[in-house]
Amino acid sequence: MVWKIAKNEWKLLLKEKGTFFWLLGMPILFIVLFGSVLGSVGKTDVTVPYVDNDRSEASKAFLATVEEKSGYVLEEKQPADMEEQLDKIRDGKGTGLLVVPQGFGQSLNGAGGATSAVELYREATNESVVAPLRAVLENLANGYRETKIASALAAAGLSDKERENALSAAFSIDDRLENGTGYNVITQIVPGYTVMFVFFVIISMLKRFLGDKESGMTARLRSTRMSPLSYLLGMWLAFLVVALVQCCALLAFGHFAYGLQLGDPLAVAALVVLLCACGTGIGLAVCMIAKSENQGMAFTQLLTMGGAVLGGLWFPIDLMPEAVQTISRFTPQYWAQKGFQDIMLRGAHASGIGYSLLVLALVASAGLIIALLRYRRFIRTALG
Amino acid sequence: MKAAIAVNELFKQYGSKTALDGITFDVSAGGCFGLLGPNGAGKSTTMKILSGLLEPDRGSVAIFGKAAGKERDSIKELIGYVPQSITLYEKLSARDNLRFFGDMYKVPKRELTSRIGEVLEQVGLADRAKDAVSTFSGGMKRRVNIAAALLHRPKLIIMDEPTVGIDPQSRNHIFEMIRSLKQGGVTVLYSTHYMEEVEALCEDLAIVDHGRVIASGSLDDVLEKHGTQAVYLELQDGSRPPIPNGFGAPVPKGRGWTVETSSPLDALASWAQACRSASLGVKQLEIVRPSLEAVFLSLTGTTLRDN
Repeated sequence: MVWKIAKNEWKLLLKEKGTFFWLLGMPILFIVLFGSVLGSVGKTDVTVPYVDNDRSEASKAFLATVEEKSGYVLEEKQPADMEEQLDKIRDGKGTGLLVVPQGFGQSLNGAGGATSAVELYREATNESVVAPLRAVLENLANGYRETKIASALAAAGLSDKERENALSAAFSIDDRLENGTGYNVITQIVPGYTVMFVFFVIISMLKRFLGDKESGMTARLRSTRMSPLSYLLGMWLAFLVVALVQCCALLAFGHFAYGLQLGDPLAVAALVVLLCACGTGIGLAVCMIAKSENQGMAFTQLLTMGGAVLGGLWFPIDLMPEAVQTISRFTPQYWAQKGFQDIMLRGAHASGIGYSLLVLALVASAGLIIALLRYRRFIRTALG
Repeated sequence: MKAAIAVNELFKQYGSKTALDGITFDVSAGGCFGLLGPNGAGKSTTMKILSGLLEPDRGSVAIFGKAAGKERDSIKELIGYVPQSITLYEKLSARDNLRFFGDMYKVPKRELTSRIGEVLEQVGLADRAKDAVSTFSGGMKRRVNIAAALLHRPKLIIMDEPTVGIDPQSRNHIFEMIRSLKQGGVTVLYSTHYMEEVEALCEDLAIVDHGRVIASGSLDDVLEKHGTQAVYLELQDGSRPPIPNGFGAPVPKGRGWTVETSSPLDALASWAQACRSASLGVKQLEIVRPSLEAVFLSLTGTTLRDN
């Protein structure tokens, strides 16, 4: 009976035009869109205009170095255009303006003892766009200062080795990558959206359960030899399989389209099964509790979107404030995402993601228990 | 003969609203029993209790001698319930819908395919088996709705207003199907607020209002006991006729007038004489059978049909 109810539900889902879009098309679209956008961060050409009032070999070399090290594209403007560029910044239409003063080349050579001020005009609210450029300028300024110091030490008669010792840093940074695989945006986006869209299955569950209740189907089925529990389990099985298919499709897409390394297949399989059980378990509970489709949708949006943000599905949880990081540990999405990344980035096996599996299993069980407890009331309201 | 349905003093309350207030009636096996009453009378609630969807607050129900509360599962094998609303999956074909319901009624797999064919033949939709229900007219959907309740060969069909909003062709199909079921020994419990349907299909009936049975028995018994015969007169010029000597004032009905009387023959003769004396041309003069509508009006003071 459970199997027959599930089979009927799959037939219905296959007949609905929106099914493939909502369950597969939209998640893949999100992955492609955000993967492309976020994957290009740092690689995109941001253009910053500059005015070179010095026009010396030194200023040209300086500007070339800035462009190379910052990754920005520097676009030359004439001094006469300076006011226009500043107006653009004030109106929020420009990112910044770099101005090399007259006499820059001479000051680099130490002539006259003066220090030139390279001016960086920027929009106050656009810190994030121009901040990397500022950092590069500061590094270059430090670099030039070291060169000046080295020249002064050489003039003072220090040998090469003595100059090297004097200028060496107090400490070095030894960057050691412990993960088996490096982090990239795909290892965030693909599992992140896979987890997020599992919970979107709740919307389909709501439409079916409440639709059947409204239409009188639930009541009619009670007059047949179908047991009430079969109905609940049959519908759960139907949507559990849908969620499993969805997860497999999205992870396979990530693997074949972006070369995402999925890690230990058994660990991934265990995580996927419990993630789907968790999502559909919560879905059953929502369907039994919601008095109307609108109410259920509102709760689902809160759960899916709120859970996506708090769970670190859209961007690494480490970027969040500590309080938010603490709250995130109460979301199943956090544990699912952590499980995926432990497997994909840190080479974990099933034993290594035990905590994630346990949390998902507990949430799934809680959802099912709530659904069972509320089921009688659901049936009673369906019978009128 | 053992009653197919024995309903005894059913009470059901929804909050402060009393839906059933001691409803009692018996339905003999075989034949069609009509449950007639206006909207809100308690017909659907009674149907749902008989089908096992609801529990009464008080009272008892027995289906073919089995107590409804205690032997619910075995009773479900015997009953086919046709709800008032069309409960089908519109995106699935008629065949797929029936296959689903056949599975829910636990019709054996080896039998189900042929049984679906038989039932579709019975409701006159064998040629539309593969079509999505969404492409059907309202009447056709109602026929599939009924077909779904016939798959497991029930001994009792409970039909809750099965002809609401359908075309005459579909209604005729349904009527023919009910007659055929009766001939096959199936008991049909049929609820409606259309008296002509009861008159066309049912041997026995109960008139329900405000959760109580206000009249029950065979159709003829109910009409005789509670109805009053009348004489109908329509004049050629459409004017108001004279009062027949020794009888009450006529009341307008349709294009003519009626006088209610327990002596219709005498009233007819008196009225004919009055018209002859006044040299009035008579278009129609006849004794009319009391209607269930009139019976209901006399018993409750209201009409059967809601606005």
